[in-house]
Formats: sequence, structure tokens, C-alpha cells
Amino acid sequence: MITLEHVSFSYANGQPSVKDVSFHLPKGEFAAILGPNGAGKTTTVRLVDGLLQPAEGRVMIDGSDLRESRVSDRARKVGFLFQNPDRQICKNTVREEILFGLRTVRPDLSEEALQARAEETLADFSFTGKEEPFSLSRGQRQRVALASILAVEPEVLILDEPTTGLDYRECCHIMDRIRKMNEEKQVTILMVCHDMEVVLDYARQALVMADGRLLACGPIRDIFRDTALMEQASVLPPQMIGLGLRLGGTFLEADTPDAMADALIASLRKGGTEK
Amino acid sequence: MICIQDLSFTYKNGTEPALREVSLTLPDGDFLGVIGPAGAGKTTLTRAIAGMIPHHYTGDYYGSVTVNGLDTVETPLDQISRLVGTVFQDVESQIISPVVEDEMLYGLENFGVPRAEIPRRLEEALGMVGIADLRERSIASLSGGQRQKVAIASILALKPQILVLDEPTGELDPRSSRQIFTLLRKLNEEQGITVIIVEQKIMLLCEFARHLAVLNEGRVMRQGEVREVLAHAEDLEAAGVNCPRVTTYSRALSARLGERQPVCVDLDEAEALTRRLMK
Repeated sequence: MITLEHVSFSYANGQPSVKDVSFHLPKGEFAAILGPNGAGKTTTVRLVDGLLQPAEGRVMIDGSDLRESRVSDRARKVGFLFQNPDRQICKNTVREEILFGLRTVRPDLSEEALQARAEETLADFSFTGKEEPFSLSRGQRQRVALASILAVEPEVLILDEPTTGLDYRECCHIMDRIRKMNEEKQVTILMVCHDMEVVLDYARQALVMADGRLLACGPIRDIFRDTALMEQASVLPPQMIGLGLRLGGTFLEADTPDAMADALIASLRKGGTEK
Repeated sequence: MICIQDLSFTYKNGTEPALREVSLTLPDGDFLGVIGPAGAGKTTLTRAIAGMIPHHYTGDYYGSVTVNGLDTVETPLDQISRLVGTVFQDVESQIISPVVEDEMLYGLENFGVPRAEIPRRLEEALGMVGIADLRERSIASLSGGQRQKVAIASILALKPQILVLDEPTGELDPRSSRQIFTLLRKLNEEQGITVIIVEQKIMLLCEFARHLAVLNEGRVMRQGEVREVLAHAEDLEAAGVNCPRVTTYSRALSARLGERQPVCVDLDEAEALTRRLMK
């Protein structure tokens, strides 16, 4: 669904650049980009969204080169959730905000169809539609931003640190909603996220970046267990992965507190019968 | 010492109290982490300690806050701000000068620090935070973590005894967040500065803070040493506060083994507990 071929880009003002990055994410993938600040993570997702044009190489969405596709087609296919919802929200009520996005991206739909879809989205997110976005909490505003993106039914969803500034419960609300889109509608997800516990809980694939280059791409657990790679990318793996690495053996496979506790019980039982 | 007694506060245009009967005592040199869901009253608590409530933000105020024996209602704000340095949630709104050095001079001059003393204070503060090389830099050219350090340095130059920070690592990556916490620990241990930090990153709080206060709906629902507070993980989760995975792991072990295991707060403890049980 998302293909980058030898993509390079650099800003004139010295913001993080991207050097010769290639990867492919099939439809329905849920991937996270890991790496320190300045690694080029945000630059990469902006290239995928078409907010930036590659200086070299090409970015393909669903088989078509971004440079050759119309902005309106791209906007319909690719949704982008920013770190700060206030960069996205521009209307005075939640209903207007959702309708605004729909009207812009889906001019082909009739007014009735637009209204119906807005209604559906509002119900789905338990909004009445009358709420004023700027009197809501940051977590709620992030949900408004997400709702207006999902109303358009994109095929690709890009998230740039979607849980920044949110408390744990708000973070779960947002991420659970995104997982649902991924599982039920096969929406392809590409996310930048600094919380490795969140990455482990939700993503299946990891892209590791440092200094503008893609260091590795693979299943999330394999990536987290690659100690040398994690050090190179200044990533501290999630706690349970870290504990598994320290303990070794059957603990290596455990990635949740429950699985880790089960591994210990299993090893105690085994030890018991041997004695 | 900070002493908060039965503090309730409703903002002037607020319909509900932002804080309800909050009581907290912080000895000198404490390192307190404050956590809780959005709207729990965390920012309001920091404003009350810094004296901005009731001096800047008016409303219905009950109870009392004393900082080193001074009642914050009766003491003028400029006197409180000499004791309590505050780093706001939104650093962008705190930094007003285009260049690092100017930003630091602004506070020093406002505080009426004698001219002869200013260069030394400036160098000391930059050195403490480890950003002496940024002195001449324009703020616009700095990363989020660097700006956060500039904000902290310009507060430190004013030599506060208490440092209050409201989600200072919210926009920072894990490495920069850890640097900020490491810096706070150094200031706390070496200079004896009392640190009060509002933070959502529970793992960092558990590693660096001495005490935790969990706020929910304007109340302090738990307070105590980190380990004591984490022993009530169910309550925290009910309030929408997560605990470190290693803590969940030690709870899972207690449930499976049918006997209470010690609460783990970090990876070292989880590893040690596992190895002990396997013997």
C-alpha cells in the first residue's frame, strides 16, 4: 500500500533530512517508525503524505506515484493525524468540523450522503456534534481530529505522535479506535510514537531510523529484541521485552506482564517435576 | 517546606471545584511526582504552590498553602516567586526573548539582581543545566529539549528553593525526557532544591521521584512513597493512571502464586524478584 523507493529529501534550513529510504508496507499493515529526535521520522511521514516532495526516488500509494496523482485523490486515500489537534481543527462545532473535512475531500457525495456520514461518525465517537472543540480537553480534541479524518474513510492513516499530551485513558481511547480501523477496515497505519509501550501494544511492524537512514525494518518484537540495533537508534525497549532479554530462555518470548508471569510459573513447574 | 491544608479552589468562571480538600506536606529537598488524568487538578495544584492562585487566578479559595512558613494568600506574588520557580506546561509561552542569554537576563534584571552578580549567576545556571554552549544561540534554532533546558536554566538563575514543573517533557523524545529528569535529580541531590513535577510518564516518575501524589477529580486519591502508591495499582487504574509494566508483572505473580510479592518499581527489581523465585 505504501512503497518508498530510494527516497531522499533535505530541507534548506537544516531540519532532519531523509537519505535513500526504501520500504514497502502492504495493505492492512500497522507500522511504527522508531528512532531519536532528528532521525527523520516526521520528514518520512510527511513524504508519505505528500506534504513534501522527494528530491530523489519515489513515493507510491496504492501503486500510484504521489507526484503523478491528484491532490484530491491523495487526500481521500491518506489521512494525517498531527501531534497537536489544534493544527487540524478549524470549526466551531464538532459536527461542522467533521462536515468540513468531508466536503473538502468528498465533493462527489450528495449533501444527504455527507450529512448521513457525519451523523454516523458522531455516533461512533459518542459526540452529539454540538460540542465546541476548543472548550474540550486535549484528549477530546484529538478525538475530534481523528473522527474528522476517519469520516473520510482513508485507506492509509498516518499518525505523528498521536498520544502526546494525553493521559493514559485518552491515549487508549485514541489507539483502540485506530486499531479498530486497522482490523475491521484494513486501513494501513504508519505511526511515529515515542512511547515504546504503546508501540508494542499496537504496532506489528517497526521501521528503525537514525540520521535520516532506515537502519532496519521487521516484526516489532524482533526489532525490540535486537539490542545492538536499539542502542544504535537510542531506543529503550519496552519493559517486558527488556526483562525477557535479561532473563533469557523462555522469558524471551513473553512480552506482557501476564505472559511473563506465566513463563515464570511454567519454569517453576518444570523445575518441580525434575526434582 | 510546603504545607497545603484542606485546599479547595473553584476558578472564577468554573462550575466545579478544580481542587477539593487537598492536603499535602512536602519536606525540604523532596522530589514529588504528581500524576492523574486530564482535568484532575494537577496544573491548578502547581499554580497554588507558585502563588499564581489566588494572585493571578481568582476564584473561591478555601484552606491554606504555606511555603517556607509564608501564607501564599498574604504574601505578595513577587516574594513567593523568589522561593518558587515555575516551568509552565507551554514553554513557548514562557520564553519571550529571541536569544538564550537575553532570556536569562530578563529574569535576573526583573528580580533586581545586582549588575555585578549577573554574569556569575548566568554562567552558573547554564553550567548546571549543561547548556553553556547555547548561550548565544537564537531560541528559534533550538530543539524542544534544548528550549526546555533554557526555561529551566533561566529559572535556576533566580536561585529558587523550590522548582515546580508542569509536564516539562510532554513534547520531548525519550532521550531528552530522561535528560531532563536526570538534571532534576542532580539539582535535587546536589543543591537540595525541592522538585515538584507533573508528569504522565509513569516509568520516569517511578524511577526518579521519591514521593507520588495521584490526583483525580480535584482530590488527592493516593500519596506516599512511590512503592506505597504503586501497591494500590487497582485504584490508580480505576482513575485512569497506568503503572509500570514491571509493577503489573509483580501483581500478576502475586495472583498466580497466591501470596503477596513485593511491588516492583523498575527493571532491576523485577529481575531480582524473578531470580529469587526461581531459586
